[in-house]
Amino acid sequence: MLLKKLWRTIGLYKAQFISMVIMIALGVGIFLGFNMEWVSIDVNTDYFYSATGYADYRIIRESGFSENDLKDVENIHGVDAVSRYVCVNADVKERDGDALALSVTENGKVSGMLVTEGAAYDKSSLNGLWLSDKYASANAISVGDELTLTYQNMEFSGTVAGLIKASEHMICVRDESQLMPDYDTFGYAYISPAFYEDVTGFQYYPMLHVRSDMDKKDFTAAVDDALGETAMILTKDETLSYAEAAGEAKEGKTMGSVLPVLFLLIAVLTMVTTMHRLTAREKTQIGTLKALGFKDRRITRHYTSYALMIGLMGTAVGIALGYAIAWFIMNPNGMMGTYLDLPEWRLPIPWFCWVIMGAILALLTAIGFLSVRQMLRGTAADALRPYTPKKMKPLLLERTPLWRVFGFGPRWNLRDIMRHKARSLMSLIGTLGCTLLILGSMGMRDTMDSFLALYYDEATNYTTRINLSEDASKDAIEELITKYNGDASGTVGVQLGDKAVSLEIYDTPHDMVRFPAEDNSFSALADDGAYLCLRLGEELALSPGDRIEISPYGSDETYTLRVAGLIRSVSESIVITSAYADSLGIDYRFSSIYTDTGRADIASDASIASTQSKQMIIDSFDAFIQIMDAMIYLLVVAAIVLGVVVLYNLGVMSYTERYRELATLKVVGFKDRKIGRLLIGQNLWISFAGLLLGIPAGVWVLDYLLKALAGEYEMKMAIYPGSFVISILLTVGMSLLVSLMVARRNKRIDMVEALKGAE
Amino acid sequence: MPIVTFEDVSRVYTSGDHSLRALDHVNMNLDQGKFIVILGPSGAGKSTLLNLLGGLDSPTEGRILVEGKDIASLSADRLAEYRAATVGFVFQFYNLIPTLTVKENVALVKEIAPDPLDPEEILAQVGLSDHLNNFPSELSGGEQQRVSIARALAKNPKILLCDEPTGALDSETGVVVLKLLLSMARSYGKTIVIVTHNQSIAKMADVVIRVRSGRIQSCEVLENPLSAEEVEW
Repeated sequence: MLLKKLWRTIGLYKAQFISMVIMIALGVGIFLGFNMEWVSIDVNTDYFYSATGYADYRIIRESGFSENDLKDVENIHGVDAVSRYVCVNADVKERDGDALALSVTENGKVSGMLVTEGAAYDKSSLNGLWLSDKYASANAISVGDELTLTYQNMEFSGTVAGLIKASEHMICVRDESQLMPDYDTFGYAYISPAFYEDVTGFQYYPMLHVRSDMDKKDFTAAVDDALGETAMILTKDETLSYAEAAGEAKEGKTMGSVLPVLFLLIAVLTMVTTMHRLTAREKTQIGTLKALGFKDRRITRHYTSYALMIGLMGTAVGIALGYAIAWFIMNPNGMMGTYLDLPEWRLPIPWFCWVIMGAILALLTAIGFLSVRQMLRGTAADALRPYTPKKMKPLLLERTPLWRVFGFGPRWNLRDIMRHKARSLMSLIGTLGCTLLILGSMGMRDTMDSFLALYYDEATNYTTRINLSEDASKDAIEELITKYNGDASGTVGVQLGDKAVSLEIYDTPHDMVRFPAEDNSFSALADDGAYLCLRLGEELALSPGDRIEISPYGSDETYTLRVAGLIRSVSESIVITSAYADSLGIDYRFSSIYTDTGRADIASDASIASTQSKQMIIDSFDAFIQIMDAMIYLLVVAAIVLGVVVLYNLGVMSYTERYRELATLKVVGFKDRKIGRLLIGQNLWISFAGLLLGIPAGVWVLDYLLKALAGEYEMKMAIYPGSFVISILLTVGMSLLVSLMVARRNKRIDMVEALKGAE
Repeated sequence: MPIVTFEDVSRVYTSGDHSLRALDHVNMNLDQGKFIVILGPSGAGKSTLLNLLGGLDSPTEGRILVEGKDIASLSADRLAEYRAATVGFVFQFYNLIPTLTVKENVALVKEIAPDPLDPEEILAQVGLSDHLNNFPSELSGGEQQRVSIARALAKNPKILLCDEPTGALDSETGVVVLKLLLSMARSYGKTIVIVTHNQSIAKMADVVIRVRSGRIQSCEVLENPLSAEEVEW
């Protein structure tokens, strides 16, 4: 019988029931979705790394490694597997402008591949090409097709033996200047060592890829000892695919631990208030059951199961929502799919999410339990008496002259707000949260946008970037610089402390490339100092005037550089002028030329590997922005839904609690419209207060997020005026909409019914 | 000259297949300035009568003329104006706004009534000058009912409608409140209609209308109504 009552109770308070389920679902869903996203990046990349043997360390030597070197490293205690490895960018002859990262690994267990179609990898094949399945499908290439590749002066043909995925090329980009993969023009392929040696006629492997759990210090010492020299060693953290994917996961984790937590918090808080109110309204029923002879335990169980049911339903819907959100971002054809090339896209629910969901269920049940206990206190007669809110006391404000200015409406509303503090506070938190989330999300986008605008509109002044061939001679490069009236840059990998960073050397007489300082201003680079990116500056606690010591890889030289300033950069780097590099005697060669000449007007030249227009570089960022945008739209929509549900729920609650007062006003002769205005007024005041608090809170949260993400981006916070306006309009609009929805109900007040019985 | 005329008024409540005839073709006249008591057992239809007259409810059939104007066919807004200007209500359970002080509860009517009286003056007359800034929850039942009376009068209505005004009070307080109600109504020249099942109150009335099963059973004009002190409670 009580079960029947349970269902009817749900029916009776369906607005509250539905809104509680939605709130829990939304809170759980957003929290779960955002956290599943980054956890699934971790899980799926980890699987990929271990399935294909992503190298933990790369030992690099320009002159190449012999089989003896390989054995020496293999013999190090703690090394699991080693492979000689080489990777070059080879052009695809059949497709103008296309290139493949062509890899050779001697040991398929290290830096290997997963075959998705065609023949298994055969290390003795003399004409087999194992091609990236994404490049193959983007260019309609299938197993059995023939491709001719050119590299430097070599040209060779092979047959596509299989289609593959390889973790070494998980983020498949030409070089660091290209941010997003573009499989239409760039892919990767493996050939066997036998094929490689057959084509080139020699064994040249400039890298040893190593799988090992040793830490870097021990490993470096062991390798130096084994090879009898100071080796240049890159950890996997210093490789693009690993670092970027880890960065993406870290970014997701940071995002996941701020905004979604706020969602969850607001959902739970509202849930607590609603549950308490609901039992308060059921008090006479609770009393009746008690008077009838039901034991406290039975009644408690009845209402507790009601709370538990809301929790279970909300959590179940939340899990579904979480999957949908995570899938939206993390699926092979989705946004992350354009970035990462993964064999598996599993979406596991992280353990801590199970814990949180369990905790929420326990909390809800406890709230239900405690609320009923409170109503059951004392005798059956006590329980039968309806729940009365606290007695009214004069407000502090009433002692001020301001109070006299207020008409009846504001007084009524102000006292009501103070009388029902929990309810009012929840409404405040609801609107505050809504403003905060919208402003924070939009600000994130603005910050990104203004950073890109700064980077592309002001820092990047060239039309075309020319990427020089690795074998271009110094004279040829000088000739090209003069011919295209360009600026030039080169990169040297250096060791700074125990970090591998890139030293970028620029010669920019034409200001084709400029560098924004911390305050986003631009000034010419000085010729007597180095410019550190903000992350390095912060991480190493360096400021202008300090000195740093760097050591280029592959040389025993060390150089002492004076820090001239800090700059915002897209990559972790140190920037110096070529004049400074020359004065220090650092050996470098230019690898890029920046020019105002259009891409089409650049004649093909043996020294030019490729050209990119500025637009191409900007476009490659677009997909990247899309991921961010999608998350932001998701958050904004969810913030509005949350706001609507919280405010509607509280509005209905307030309406129900004041039903008798509203009926009295109606009897006295107030028109519906006037009563409606009173109700809307209260909501709007609270919303206004929520806005006033929500705006600074949004700015604060954004600042916190940007600081947490500083390792990923070096962006100065920017919130456009439009975003403030939109946040305000959306919050006020949302509040007004909900108020109207609630106020509409007052037409249905039954005066006769409402005024029956004692208060 | 009657201030109120009921012409063949019926009120039928329907819910689902059931219908309940709360008032069944009622005809009656109420004269201006009189003290009218509507008497009847529970469920007789007396509250329905009062609600219809007060513009809280509309009849299913018939006309209700107040000062010659039919209120049965008014829109919700016009009805609200009617309630604001013409009738004042006193309820059994006071129905004060808990978040407004005594004075504010009365002053409330200034927002809507076209010709309100001074709230403080009225409150002084009902003997609550010392409690102007108290909240309803700080007052006794009798005091709360006096606020309710003051609120009803402050609108300066033509008709005062009271639904069991002493029903929630002990008999001693009830007498005090009733006396006050009558003397106030008389001094302001109001028509006063009290709905009750308390036979004693009926002895004080100018006119006693007895209702039973939705019909008017009798309408008696008392030549010599008793004063509150004379009535045995």
